[in-house]
Amino acid sequence: MLHIKCPHCGLRSQNEFSYGGDGTIKRPELNKEISDQDWNNFVYNRKSPRGKHVELWQHISGCRQWIKVQRDTVTHEIFQTADVKQDIK
Amino acid sequence: MSQDFRLEKIGLINRNKKISFKFNGKKYFGYEGDTLASALIANGIHLVGRSFKYHRPRGFFGAGVDEPYAIVQLYRNNETEPNVRATEQELFEGLEAKSVNCWPSVNFDIGAINNFLNIFFPAGFYYKTFMWPKSFWYKIYEPFIRKAAGFGAASPNHDKEIYEHKYEYCDVLITGSGPSGLASAYAAAKNGAKVILAEDKPRFGGSLLTDDVNIGNQSGKDWAKNIISELKEMPNVIIKNRAQVFGYYDHNMLVMSERISDHLPKTNKYKPKQKLWYIRAKEVIISSGSIERPIVFGNNDTPGVVLSSAAKEYLKVYGVLVGKKPLIFTNNDSAYETAIEFKKNGINSIVLDSRKNPNSEIINDAKNLGIDIKFSHVVVSANGYKKVKSAEISKISDDKEELGKVESILCDCICVSGFWTPTIHLASQSGNKTQFNSKIDAFIPGKSKQNETTVGSANGLFSLEETLKDSFDAGYRLSKKITNKDDKLKVPQVSEKKSSKHDKFWCVPLPKGRNYKRFLDFQNDVTVSDVELAIREGYRSIEHVKRYTTLGMATDQGKTSNLNGLQLVSNIENKIVPSVGHTTFRPPYTPVSIGAIVGREVGKHSKPTRKSPMHFWHEKHNAVFVDAGIWLRPRYYKQGNENLFEASKREAANVRKNVGVCDVTTLGKIDIKGPDAAEFLNRVYTNAWLKLPVGKARYGVMLREDGIVMDDGTTTRISENHYHMTTTTAQAANVLSHLEYYLQFVWPDLNVNVVSTTEQWAGAAIAGPKSRELMQKLFPNLDCSNQALPFMGYTESNLFGVPARIFRISFSGELAYEVNVESNNGNYMWEKIIEIGKEFKIQPYGTEALSTLRIEMGHVAGSELDGRTIPYDNGLEGLLSKKKDFIGKRSLTKQAFVATNRQRVVGVVPLDRKTGIPEGSHLVKNVNEKKPNPKLGHISASCWSVEYDNPFSLAILKDGKNMIGQKLFAVSPLKNISIPVEIVSSHYVDPKGERVRS
Amino acid sequence: MQKYSVFNLIKKAFNGHKGWEVAWKDPAPKAEYDVIIIGGGGHGLATAYYLAKEHNLNNIAIVEKGWIGGGNVGRNTTILRSNYMHDENGLFYEKGMDLWRSMSQDLNFNVMYSPRGIINLAHSDAQMNAYTRRGNSMRLNGIDAVLLGREEIKKLVPVLDFSENVRFPIFGGLMQPSGGTARHDAVAWGYARQADAMGVDIIQHCEVTGFDIVNGKIKGIQTSKGNIKTKKIGLCVAGSTSILAEMLNMNLPLETHLLQACVSEPIKPILDHVVTFGAGHFYCSQSDKGEMVMGGDLDGYNSYAQRGNLPTLQHVLTEGIAMLPFLSKLKMLRTWGGIMDMSMDGSPIIDKTHIEGLYLNCGWCYGGFKATPVSGWTFAHTIAQDRVHKLNAGFNLNRFNTGHLIDEKGLGTKTWIS
Repeated sequence: MLHIKCPHCGLRSQNEFSYGGDGTIKRPELNKEISDQDWNNFVYNRKSPRGKHVELWQHISGCRQWIKVQRDTVTHEIFQTADVKQDIK
Repeated sequence: MSQDFRLEKIGLINRNKKISFKFNGKKYFGYEGDTLASALIANGIHLVGRSFKYHRPRGFFGAGVDEPYAIVQLYRNNETEPNVRATEQELFEGLEAKSVNCWPSVNFDIGAINNFLNIFFPAGFYYKTFMWPKSFWYKIYEPFIRKAAGFGAASPNHDKEIYEHKYEYCDVLITGSGPSGLASAYAAAKNGAKVILAEDKPRFGGSLLTDDVNIGNQSGKDWAKNIISELKEMPNVIIKNRAQVFGYYDHNMLVMSERISDHLPKTNKYKPKQKLWYIRAKEVIISSGSIERPIVFGNNDTPGVVLSSAAKEYLKVYGVLVGKKPLIFTNNDSAYETAIEFKKNGINSIVLDSRKNPNSEIINDAKNLGIDIKFSHVVVSANGYKKVKSAEISKISDDKEELGKVESILCDCICVSGFWTPTIHLASQSGNKTQFNSKIDAFIPGKSKQNETTVGSANGLFSLEETLKDSFDAGYRLSKKITNKDDKLKVPQVSEKKSSKHDKFWCVPLPKGRNYKRFLDFQNDVTVSDVELAIREGYRSIEHVKRYTTLGMATDQGKTSNLNGLQLVSNIENKIVPSVGHTTFRPPYTPVSIGAIVGREVGKHSKPTRKSPMHFWHEKHNAVFVDAGIWLRPRYYKQGNENLFEASKREAANVRKNVGVCDVTTLGKIDIKGPDAAEFLNRVYTNAWLKLPVGKARYGVMLREDGIVMDDGTTTRISENHYHMTTTTAQAANVLSHLEYYLQFVWPDLNVNVVSTTEQWAGAAIAGPKSRELMQKLFPNLDCSNQALPFMGYTESNLFGVPARIFRISFSGELAYEVNVESNNGNYMWEKIIEIGKEFKIQPYGTEALSTLRIEMGHVAGSELDGRTIPYDNGLEGLLSKKKDFIGKRSLTKQAFVATNRQRVVGVVPLDRKTGIPEGSHLVKNVNEKKPNPKLGHISASCWSVEYDNPFSLAILKDGKNMIGQKLFAVSPLKNISIPVEIVSSHYVDPKGERVRS
Repeated sequence: MQKYSVFNLIKKAFNGHKGWEVAWKDPAPKAEYDVIIIGGGGHGLATAYYLAKEHNLNNIAIVEKGWIGGGNVGRNTTILRSNYMHDENGLFYEKGMDLWRSMSQDLNFNVMYSPRGIINLAHSDAQMNAYTRRGNSMRLNGIDAVLLGREEIKKLVPVLDFSENVRFPIFGGLMQPSGGTARHDAVAWGYARQADAMGVDIIQHCEVTGFDIVNGKIKGIQTSKGNIKTKKIGLCVAGSTSILAEMLNMNLPLETHLLQACVSEPIKPILDHVVTFGAGHFYCSQSDKGEMVMGGDLDGYNSYAQRGNLPTLQHVLTEGIAMLPFLSKLKMLRTWGGIMDMSMDGSPIIDKTHIEGLYLNCGWCYGGFKATPVSGWTFAHTIAQDRVHKLNAGFNLNRFNTGHLIDEKGLGTKTWIS
């Protein structure tokens, strides 16, 4: 079971969180023209990297905040977690 | 009854307490502290079961978790459990066990015919045959094979035992209480660390219980005893026996199963059978020791062939002799301890040592004791069927290729030692890339991946002195990292016998002209020739070998067979072992009870249900409940002998005619507050929200970004910056997360907060033409007129002193209101409504009547909003704002979503106006079309229209818009039904929606 | 090629089985092939086999970074079925069922096709209705399906929980009688052996490190065993698709997730069908060896680790005990994990790509095993003819643009929710 450091609550077990997928996908701005390709890249297409992955989790049984987690998709090592508004590079 | 193989004066069993037990129906006795295996051996029983494939006789091979043979069916407290290892099962009064995989009995097993036909059953034989005729595999061969396979039989009964879970945190977890475990636990605990020490066996001490060593000025055994009692007293130490750490998972989470009651005749009340510990450790010290590996020789599976270390353990721990005329076959020094121990107890053994001229202290001791030792000698084959009677032995050349003259020698057991295999499972599970150590011909852990450190013989250290030094240091060093303390203990002096080098020898060649079966995997009957065949046929990867031959896939998971299998593959392939590599170690290290893994989430505790505050009222009034998401909701209220159909029709008709009340507490409710709340709703919902006045509700649909309808519901503006959103029961949790996602991640600039209030409010929907009159009586101070509280209006009032929110919204299509009060007033509200509603002939109605009402009104619900439909499909395109953007809008431009013949909700009535159309039927043009018959749509919901007194259904139909008036067939081939139908508008009743506004 | 038969088995027995030839060779790669299949799993091996058998191509290589059959074909719960609602899925998998029915004979390798019937349990009327919709769709597509009531299920599978006052009462279920199981490893080996016999080079321990593409056309691949020329490449790498897609600069509607499965210790026959739980996600069958083979939910976050965590298994086994109470007293023997190419609508992709000569076979989610023959069959057609077959026409990549999605479960793009 993963051990995830919620930036608001501290280290908690994975079963307090729910997963939210790729955290690098940015929703296109509202009311803006956008190509089919760009829209599909937002809705459907994913890099799904083997290795470092920035992803979203929600501390659903805790502070209910969405957070960003940088994790290795092979070893599950977590390198960094951050408030969802911050960027992880 | 005497125990022929029990010694008088040796062992750790409690001779004051005799325990009687039954094996295969016959009564025996043993002592407290025995395992089933030791007690049986004491009674001279060596035949326990039969092997998987050839049904060859099987006895005992080890004395613990590595045991490949001795699997029994256990009977305890009127229940039975399959596949229990006799070497691990402690004896208790009244224990009953039976042999498995044999018929009619373990002594005379029909299946043993396989053994005589064994030349036709090499590895993978079943891939090459049983193919003709085609249907015979499933009909004839497979049932036969299935019956022959398997070991024990499962009890079909519910498991009445309790299994518990526990979560624990510690600084240092230590797995195994042998010398390395004790030393590191002691050093860490003394340095202030919070320590958990886990021992799989009932007794602590590991090899110190059986090895002839001294630590400080006491015996190893006494040293262990003293350390354990000291550790037990320390408040920072949890110490558990009968506890197997079986899995090393991510982020230093380890899981341990503790057998709490398995050794007792029955589980005490309020005590669990087993407890599963989830342990998050800062550091892990793996002190799991090592397992002796066998040397492979002919018929090495005969009962009476045992590991030399097991023979010693039976002797020293249980006072039991595995035989009285032992032959000891070794390639290293450790077997001499067994020989000496036999000698000390008056048993003369013969030692065959494959080495030419080894020289060490212990060998000299053995020589001095007069033990018969034959160097450069090997066992070629064991003789005897159900028990070893003699052995073929021979001299072996220095290069181990040539055997000398084979001679027969009498013996009743063969104790074999092929050196030691470190137990690296946990380290490997942690992600540690193991490495081959050619000094010990085995794998040891490499660089740590997680915070794990392997010590002692698990790390390939076989001298006690080095082990203690290393382990004391590990305990100190790792605890210091955490506690920052510096209490370092002195490593005690050790006296032990120095070993000479072991022989890199693991398999005895076949003598000329003989073709003995030489077993690698004893349980799955995998022999040397099987592996040779696999490689000959091109199954060369070690994983292919494993899968083709089933090597190491038995219930012992290859603990005694894997390394020899690797040696063999590397020999044949002419590669070194590390380049062959080993198969993956996965949890569990040893099989774990599924009940223990599941814990308490069984029966009604499995996904517990939620109940509304009015639940008990419903129960009292004969409600029949139905699961709705995580909730239980009344489906109908049974009167007399009514069935579901009759009751729901009555309830629905009463709503249309008088007034009904429905518990709507389960609807998801979300409180939305903040200056940007209107803007937020405007983005979340497809329709316009900026101009909704305070005191008004609005129906809204929200989409996923892919354009599919996610949920619908009404949202009410309670005050300027305060909204109350409702969701469907099923989607409540998803919608909340969805809103939080957009507020926190996508549009953090919006100043809005959301919180679930589902449990805070109890809700009652009051619907029907008489609902206004009833409302007026419930709220005498409130003006309930259509002007004062119009459709989609909202107001607050109090219900006989209880504050209430009143929404004029309707799902039934009738004039209706929804009243919300705080949950703890829910039942009060409900009873008031029923009491005062009597004069209006009020009846409660359940979800079935609710469905009827909404279906005939053409209101879409979950069966239409099924995660595949866009607003148009549900006739909701009118709610799509053209002026503003919203979640999912961009997707609605997709070609398939704007197709003019797109599917759409329609009404369906049978032409005969009588035959109900089953839900799940499909609509087709032609009933007798050849398959595949094109499907035009499906029936999503059906009811008996109480308005028109005939069946009515909703359907999602291709090109539904242009199909009104068409005649089709509703077919349900599953039920052999085909009904001619007419397509009508989905708004079957009150299409203009006048009633809700009346 | 040597024929496998009981006669040959007996004949060879008297020579200590020394006369058996290799099932497939271990050749070094040639300089050029007509088609290279990347991925020596079930789908890749089947594709190569059907390319050779149905399309008369004989200069084919399969390159595999590890050992053949080491991916999901050797890590699944061996279930075969075609009980799908959508036409695209139903008709496709039913062709697969046809191929399964004669696979042992076609391949002269006993894959132990066992049509023992698969039963989906329903625990509510609403679920019975959903199954009715699916079952009717199957029947209209010519696929066998039977709706069973509670009592009928009780007769077939008495060990299910039929006790009173149970948390998830059994209302009935949908059964596909021809659904069942097959021996997973045998499928890979059987295809490998026949493909090899027809001249396909099976090149193991050969990792693809790059692609040679000139003017939008495939020219060859770079591998750990050197560069190999080809004009056509079929990508059959399941959970590794996104890794190769990155080399190709493609962004696909896929995410890789981990699915775990486990088996109990072997016991005497107790469950004769494949049964799935309706109030969650759990499925179970009993192997010929006697082990209960069990699976359920994904671990729930992107993963390339072929190892999982215990909470998911705990959750899956919780549903297991709710369905089959007797499981509680059994012991979990072995667990494993496979990495799944989860597509954004839950259905596969078998298609050409914008790169000439590059063909894509992916998106199998956790249902790839049963598709092995038909995936290979249609993919071979797509590669050989350079156009899709009507059976895989719906599984095009463009559907994510056009909106012709095939969402069997209605779950949308949250691939990790299973």
